[in-house]
Amino acid sequence: MSRLQFPSLLVIVGVLFLTACGQTAPARNARLELAADHSQSAQRAYNRGDYHVALRQYEMALQVDVAVENIPGIAIDILNLARLSQILGRHEVADAYLDKLLQDDALEYEISYLAAAATQKSLLILQRGDVAGARLWLEKASAWCVAECTLTSVIDNARAGIALREKDADQALHWADRAASSSRNDSPLEYANALRYMSEARLMRREFSMALRLADEALVVDKTLGLPAKIKQDLLLSASAYEGQGDAEQAKRFRERASRIVAR
Amino acid sequence: MKLSNYNQRLLNIEQRTKRFMLGALGAMLFVLLLIAIKQDYLVRSTAIYFFAENAQGLNKGMAVKFIGFKVGSVKDVSMEPNATVRVKVALDDDYVHLIGQDAKARLIKEALVGESVVEIIPGSQQVQQVTQNSVLQFERGQDASSIAESMAAQLQPILKDIRQITSSINNPNGDIQQTLKNLNQLTGELRETVKQFTQLGTSGNQKLDSVHGKLDKALDSVNANLEVMDKALPRLVDRADATLDNVQSATSDIKRMAAESAGELPAFIHNSNALVQDSQDMLEGAKQSWPFSGWFRKPEAQVLPVDGYVPPEKP
Repeated sequence: MSRLQFPSLLVIVGVLFLTACGQTAPARNARLELAADHSQSAQRAYNRGDYHVALRQYEMALQVDVAVENIPGIAIDILNLARLSQILGRHEVADAYLDKLLQDDALEYEISYLAAAATQKSLLILQRGDVAGARLWLEKASAWCVAECTLTSVIDNARAGIALREKDADQALHWADRAASSSRNDSPLEYANALRYMSEARLMRREFSMALRLADEALVVDKTLGLPAKIKQDLLLSASAYEGQGDAEQAKRFRERASRIVAR
Repeated sequence: MKLSNYNQRLLNIEQRTKRFMLGALGAMLFVLLLIAIKQDYLVRSTAIYFFAENAQGLNKGMAVKFIGFKVGSVKDVSMEPNATVRVKVALDDDYVHLIGQDAKARLIKEALVGESVVEIIPGSQQVQQVTQNSVLQFERGQDASSIAESMAAQLQPILKDIRQITSSINNPNGDIQQTLKNLNQLTGELRETVKQFTQLGTSGNQKLDSVHGKLDKALDSVNANLEVMDKALPRLVDRADATLDNVQSATSDIKRMAAESAGELPAFIHNSNALVQDSQDMLEGAKQSWPFSGWFRKPEAQVLPVDGYVPPEKP
């Protein structure tokens, strides 16, 4: 490049730079903006534990997304509504939402949403005590959970939960350990879940001091996350571990602490 | 042959130089055009003047607004031989017909914290519009600090009154406390009287003379107590009246202050609203333009985290 071409190049670059300055970002239409606003409000309500408000906001977001056939939006809203219904103890409603997503023949959802729905369904079924049904849906979830799937640790934890219900402490430890390894730096929620499952498995194997240590660690994480139900669970696990060690007084103290936790 | 090549190269260099120089000249002209647009050189304007006692808050280039819209700018601020300040304002010709000769120029702040602007207060519609070199009357609007000072000055006596009332109520030797003590004492004496009546009833078998005697004493005591009450109550009522007077005075002071500030507050609120709206518009525009558009991503809907833990039925 000769010396005289260089300034010309600079001028061209300058013009291009100025043109870029004038570019505006492609705007979403007003209805999609509205749906996003509802979704954001719901997310904030969920974060502060205001689940009823979050539910209403996601319902409104779903109405708007359905009106403009925003397929990813519909999938996200339905998954979140199912999750909130489950938290609020409305298991049938949660199940119905998930079926709506999993059995929809008209709309084609991304495979990652189907994986999330199947995982949630499996956990919901496991909560009802149907181990076989839970395993079936977990296999489907696992099949849908392919590249860049963020549900690996959730699925592993669910497998640990299934193993515990089948009284297979070794398998439970195996899956929970895998979940803990994959979630340690990514998801404190799943890491604490894995620790809790491991603590339960250790209790089953009557390894009380190890169970206590794991429950303690889970308690620290759950307190950081601010999850009352989980904190209560951790305290009850510690109480069981103390009971196993023959320390009735400490066990009583921990049960008392657990009884004072009230979710709000 | 060599000379021909050399000439050809010289010709090429000359052509490139010409192109570069033309490009640079074009860019310079473009920049000059932008500056001219920015400085309103291409806008036809009418010069008008106003005179102020001092130049405080008046600057060259400050905006001139009419009903919230920018209609011109201050072009010059200079001192006159008689120590007054002459301010030259250039008004866009598009708005001149809206401004009468009897309009006023007022220096105001657009918000509590913000730049000062010259606000044109419209005159009557019937009067002839301003023309080149017209002179407007000038006044200074109250700014936030002067209003705050005025409010503080008026609030001080009210606070003083309230402090006096409170200390009078709390003073153990004050009239109110003394009155309450008297009342308390009176109640105690009445209780004693009732007790005496009770004793009288239970000792029904005692001699009639003794009963009469005690009854007389009791009635005397009641009489004495009622006298104390008669004395105490008017004083209490007087004190209560004085307290109410103080409160009434404080309320009237507050009302007066509110009435005095009422003229300024709507303008404040109006101007603040306009400023906030402008800022919002600017921010929205900036957020949609490169490179800020990358910094302010629109929030996307997210899937809530799936919780992989199912609690056991009995831990």
